[in-house]
Amino acid sequence: MITLTHFLIVSALLFVIGLYAVLAKRNAVLVLVGIELMINAAVLNLVSFGRYDKALYGGQTFALFAIVLAAASVAVALAIILNVYRYYKNINPHDIRDLKD
Amino acid sequence: MSLLNHISLNVFLSLMVLIAPLCAFMATVFGGRKISGGLLAVTAMCISVIGSIVVFVNVWNGEQIHEQITWFTVGANEFKAGIILNNLSVLMMVLISVVGLPVHIYSVFYMKGDPGIHRYWMYLSLFCFAMLALVMADSLLLMYVCWELVGFASYLLIGFWFTKEAAIRANKKAFLINRIGDLGFLIGICILYSQFQTLDVELLFGEQGFINQAVNDGVRWQFRGASVPAVWLTLAGTAFFMGAMAKSAQFPFHIWLPDAMEGPTSVSSLIHAATMVAAGVFMLVRISPLFDATVLLMIGSIGAFTAFMAATIALTQYDIKKILAFSTISQLGFMMVAIGIGQYGVAMFHLVTHAFFKCLLFLAAGAIIHEMHHVRDQNQLDFDPQDIRNMGGLRKYMPKTFRLTLIAALALAGLPLTAGYLSKDAILIYAFEWAEWRSNIWMIVPVSLLLTSALTAFYIARLVFKVFYGKFRLALNYQKTIALYEAPVGMRYPMTFLALCALFPLFSYNPLVFENVWLLNGFDKTEALQRVNIYHTVVPAAVNSISIIVIFVAWRWYARLKYPLKGTGVFFKFSLNQWYLDAVYHKLIIKVVKWFSRILYAFDRTFVDGLVDKLGRAIPLLANMVEWVDRKLVDGVVNGAGTLSNILGDTFRNAKSGRVQQYLFSMFLFFLIILFLGISFF
Repeated sequence: MITLTHFLIVSALLFVIGLYAVLAKRNAVLVLVGIELMINAAVLNLVSFGRYDKALYGGQTFALFAIVLAAASVAVALAIILNVYRYYKNINPHDIRDLKD
Repeated sequence: MSLLNHISLNVFLSLMVLIAPLCAFMATVFGGRKISGGLLAVTAMCISVIGSIVVFVNVWNGEQIHEQITWFTVGANEFKAGIILNNLSVLMMVLISVVGLPVHIYSVFYMKGDPGIHRYWMYLSLFCFAMLALVMADSLLLMYVCWELVGFASYLLIGFWFTKEAAIRANKKAFLINRIGDLGFLIGICILYSQFQTLDVELLFGEQGFINQAVNDGVRWQFRGASVPAVWLTLAGTAFFMGAMAKSAQFPFHIWLPDAMEGPTSVSSLIHAATMVAAGVFMLVRISPLFDATVLLMIGSIGAFTAFMAATIALTQYDIKKILAFSTISQLGFMMVAIGIGQYGVAMFHLVTHAFFKCLLFLAAGAIIHEMHHVRDQNQLDFDPQDIRNMGGLRKYMPKTFRLTLIAALALAGLPLTAGYLSKDAILIYAFEWAEWRSNIWMIVPVSLLLTSALTAFYIARLVFKVFYGKFRLALNYQKTIALYEAPVGMRYPMTFLALCALFPLFSYNPLVFENVWLLNGFDKTEALQRVNIYHTVVPAAVNSISIIVIFVAWRWYARLKYPLKGTGVFFKFSLNQWYLDAVYHKLIIKVVKWFSRILYAFDRTFVDGLVDKLGRAIPLLANMVEWVDRKLVDGVVNGAGTLSNILGDTFRNAKSGRVQQYLFSMFLFFLIILFLGISFF
């Protein structure tokens, strides 16, 4: 029997893994991947809670929105990463600190 | 100045007598070396002589004159200053000026050519002023001031030749010993002031004075409500006597006088024979009502002992001035005995006669020393011009000086026809009568005086015979003919005048009986002694026969050179070394004082300085502690603030590292913290 709790645990794991990737990876693309994982963990949550809104399918709708948003944000982020790479010849977030001031 | 309105002739003259030497002193001080000090001083003395004689004639046996002005006021107590003229004052005034004038004239010749002659007159005038002021002063405080001035002038004059080591030692000694005595005087003044609240001589010591009004029942000494134990009366008398002991060179304070002979001889004659040493006797007579029986006995005993002791020392001295100095001490002892037996008039009488003949003796000695100096300088010899062993046979060279010396010597020995006979016999006879009414033990006083008289005759005869008779030993020693000459006229005339004063006519028309002396009748006999007729005949006869025998012996010994003694005996040494008193004082007092001083010094070094050093070491310690506190705590707070801002600054600066992931991480962290707080709150 797979209950809501299992979904939520999986989603939490996903989120935490994503968070780790965002915080620790030395490659901007993989940071982006981590962001995707966290969005997906949220989407998984939305979908799992969607069971309880059988009338309006709020969960699924929200999930779709989130997927679309994630895709858009990835497009923008990749554009930024490419520009960064062109400018710095480097996409290691650790080294890029010129935004400080 | 209401004083000037009713000032009488006598007071005016007395002030003139006093101010003349003061003016001479001031003129020599401010006039510099251009001024002839001798002329000034002699003129001032002449004025003093004339003034004092006029005052004397007016005041003697008349009303006492007492003029005073307010000197200064302390709180409610007025201190007055003024002059008091009674028999005692005017007698002393005449004595000081009449003895002072010949000495001044003599000095003109004696001190001729001395490089310090200017200073000499300055000091001498100062001394005369101080002494005259002392006898006129009407309050004990003023007397004390003049007393100190006299001592100071004496100090200056003894150390007149200040390049001589001995002179400097002598004047320090004289000054210090006199200061010890002055302490007694001052204590006496303090006691009287605390008892009577006044220092006025007339109020204190007059006929109806406070002293006579005060009741002494042997337990308490009471006056108008002030009541102290009776011992204070004795103490006051003793304290005053201590002052007189130092000034009048009584045992044990006599040791300064022989040393004081280091000054010029003219000074010795005036100060250390006629006036300053008499100041002590004068002072005792001035305050005579104060003495109770105990003090009088003490004065008499010390006087008798001093007279005897000094006479024995005079027997063997070789220095002509030292012999005369001890003779002076001895004669002052006689005066003290006269005071001790309550015969103040007799004491004053002996003071006057002694002043004349002793001054003359000193001046004669000065004339001889003067000539010996000449001999020494002309022949370039090296000998002590004051040593009587270098003299002898001077009668042939200086016949006039010899005759004058002889008169003075006879007066000192107390042979008839001289003034000395009258005064010394008066003392002896009264001493015998006084002892008659006391227990037998007190017979020792007159008997010792009798013995002292014999010694006196002997030592003065020895001096005369050794100096004027026999052969001139100096010429024998050097195997050459040395001639001396008579002293100059200017030195001889003053001496002649003094010699006339040393004979009986000045004092009495009857050369043999002292009852007719006018001077004695000017003083009250404080104690009516019962006349014991036998003494009045036996004593003079005994004294004179003994004196004549003694003088004959001295003549055989010293003039005929049949000298029987070896000069090595115990007594001889004892006398020659002045009873070893100097050594005793050195051992007993000076050593002890020095030892005590060393102990105190050690105490000071270890304890007082030690404490200071410890403190000195403790303070850096304290300072270190304070400094540590300052550094660690106070600076710590300040630095801590600085460090804190540093840390904070570092924290916030480092937080803005520009690393995106770090920003995220911290956001996450804060998010977690907020979440946690939220959970724990709700």
